[in-house]
Amino acid sequence: MTDSHLTRRRLLRYGAYGAGAAALGGTAASWERLTGADIPGRDDGSLVVATLGPAYGPEAIRTLREGFRELHPDIKLQINAVQAVDWSDFFAKILTQVAAGTAPDLVYVATEGVQLFAQRLGVALDKWVKRDAAELKEYFADVHPSLVESMMYEGSLFQLPVEFNAADMYLNRQVLRRAGAQYPPADWTRDDFTSLLRDMKQASGSRFTPYFWTNRLWGGVVPWLFANGTNLLAEAKAPGGEWLWDSFYPAGQRAGRGGGFRWTTPQATHDRVEEVYDYLASLVRDGLCTRPEGGNGQNLIGVFSTGRVGVTPAGGFWAGGLHLAGMERDGFDVQYFPRWRTQRMQYGAAGYALLRTSKRQEEAWEFIKYAARKDTLTRLFTTNQTTPARRSMLTAGRYEETGPAHWRVFYDTLDRFPGTGPIPAPPQVAEVEQLLLKHTGTALASSRSVRPALRRLQGDLEKAMERDA
Amino acid sequence: MTDTRTPPARAERPEAPPAKHAPRPSARDRGTRLLATLFLAPTILGIVVFTVVPIVGSVVLSLFHWNVIDSPRFAGGSNYGAVFGDETVLVSFRNTLVFMVLAVALQLLVALALALTLTGRMPGWLRSVFRSAFFFPLVLSAASISVVMKYLFNQDFGVINWLLGFVGIAPVPWLTSENAAMATVVLVYVWQQFGFSFLLFVGGLNNIPKEIHEAAALDGATGLRKHLSVTLPLLSPTLLVASVVGIINALQVFEQPYVLTNGGPGDSTRTVVMVIYETAFEQLRFGEASAVGVLLFVLIMAVTALQFRLSRRFVHYQ
Repeated sequence: MTDSHLTRRRLLRYGAYGAGAAALGGTAASWERLTGADIPGRDDGSLVVATLGPAYGPEAIRTLREGFRELHPDIKLQINAVQAVDWSDFFAKILTQVAAGTAPDLVYVATEGVQLFAQRLGVALDKWVKRDAAELKEYFADVHPSLVESMMYEGSLFQLPVEFNAADMYLNRQVLRRAGAQYPPADWTRDDFTSLLRDMKQASGSRFTPYFWTNRLWGGVVPWLFANGTNLLAEAKAPGGEWLWDSFYPAGQRAGRGGGFRWTTPQATHDRVEEVYDYLASLVRDGLCTRPEGGNGQNLIGVFSTGRVGVTPAGGFWAGGLHLAGMERDGFDVQYFPRWRTQRMQYGAAGYALLRTSKRQEEAWEFIKYAARKDTLTRLFTTNQTTPARRSMLTAGRYEETGPAHWRVFYDTLDRFPGTGPIPAPPQVAEVEQLLLKHTGTALASSRSVRPALRRLQGDLEKAMERDA
Repeated sequence: MTDTRTPPARAERPEAPPAKHAPRPSARDRGTRLLATLFLAPTILGIVVFTVVPIVGSVVLSLFHWNVIDSPRFAGGSNYGAVFGDETVLVSFRNTLVFMVLAVALQLLVALALALTLTGRMPGWLRSVFRSAFFFPLVLSAASISVVMKYLFNQDFGVINWLLGFVGIAPVPWLTSENAAMATVVLVYVWQQFGFSFLLFVGGLNNIPKEIHEAAALDGATGLRKHLSVTLPLLSPTLLVASVVGIINALQVFEQPYVLTNGGPGDSTRTVVMVIYETAFEQLRFGEASAVGVLLFVLIMAVTALQFRLSRRFVHYQ
């Protein structure tokens, strides 16, 4: 028979268990721990700004924060550097914050996301730009209208560009000397470029690849499409925007400007697009360039600085990158992208986008203006990690330590070729980029695979563009 | 005459009289149950919060169109229709199955071969060195390993092709050819993962009584015959565990193909989990991504159930 009564010993034991559990629970409850309120900037009255982590290190963030505090001591600022490998990864993380209900007030957005944010999340800056026109005159006078136009969507302005990078051609001076070649002239052609690659290959042997490129939307196939006078998606301009052009730009500069770019119709099977792919396939076949999957930005600096690559497309950001990697200022140089049918070039720009969910829109506008000031950008872009959107900031002094010698190429890509425009980035950009990368890899497997791959690219792009972003 | 082979009839079993009330558990039993429940509660809570709720959430989300930014819209089964009509999704399922077969087979083979080698005659310290070396890759981050491997396998600048060049072998397109890319991803994956199966096999081999091997030796079984007739059948429960875990992991592979090839060239190494990530976080079609996730869940359940069904025939418990 079992005794159902508790003995004193058992009672004491369970009492001890209970006391132990209560002590443990009490300790856990009183422990300082993270809660939803600890998410930086959440519900503490701060203006929250999300920036791309790798582009904005701790020093840059401190500079931004302290400069803003001096101007606006009444506005509490929280800058979150979101770590991401590229813009696409950055957007994914920002959208996760939006989904979680912790959207920042401002997001640093590059061309890739301008239209997506403008269409779905952004607030047009028009009313503030009109209100503070006098204050902004100096800014617009210093920034090329194409950069501003790239931040417009359907007639409204959504960001003030603070930086940009066009795809110019970097050349390794050591490899040029080895090939007995000269620094190419500004009006060099695609054929000159091919001859240079052949000379480099001949002089450097089998463990050398003359042209290195990365399969991505910015700087991959697209610069060649622009040079050949075409694009992946047919490019048009939205109507509108006169309110801005007439207020800030002289007649010569505002001619042909509109309310922002429109990319709607895929044209992957157009003759000129096929020509570009045929040309790149021929370079791969002849061992003159890396296969698209082989190249990525991570190993590029290493192979370029050690002379295992001769030429690669990159923006002003690479001047600082090569300097940090230990390359001497005369070890490399930069020239415009070679001419094909045109010498029009592609770029990507970035600035701060104001989110609709923000409850601090006035404060956010103050930050946008502050972030576009020359003194702010000068303090921020000290290492030539990008090309400032302000023309006046590109000076000989800025590039004295890092190089390259022909640093004027960076901004002159806009001034000398005014048709230079942004990479095609409609609201469906993520899918467009993914399809471009996938089918480019297949297309360049051999010269026979170009057309079938482009037909599939065309079909997939049509489906993607029909989809709602 | 009674047929002794006939199982005892139900009527022959003594039947217990139907109890009006189940016997009341003692206070000690109640206390033990309470303690057991308390100990299990955190695990159960964890499973409910982090497994059951997300699964149910995914099933619900798969019935909606949702792009994170706007409110979800009910879609019925249209997400599943879209998924079945999407060539990329179908290719990713094919790739994942091919990957699973290659990776699990190679992983089990390598792990078993090394475990058998290490349980043979060998100084203890050397055995420890090998065990640690084989297990070490498992504790590293798959993404970090893949980044390093991407450098090593680079066609133009990689160390592997550089070394092959010394013996006159032309650069191999490890990651840039549709045929070679999947094989390279499998190799990298197996290199990292086989340590887990290896440890299971070492444990399983050590649990096989020596007397059985001695008896087999007395019967004349040696070498391969001994392993096929004695070791493998006795190791079959461990093989089942290793293959079930291996298959479930392989069906969810993401980091290696994402970092090494980004699914390319073309779609040749695009896996189901990559498609889920791209559809959800890059293309903002969370409903479709959830539908693919639900299908993957069903596939994993089906494959695991099939394994356990087959195990009744092939697994021998001592």
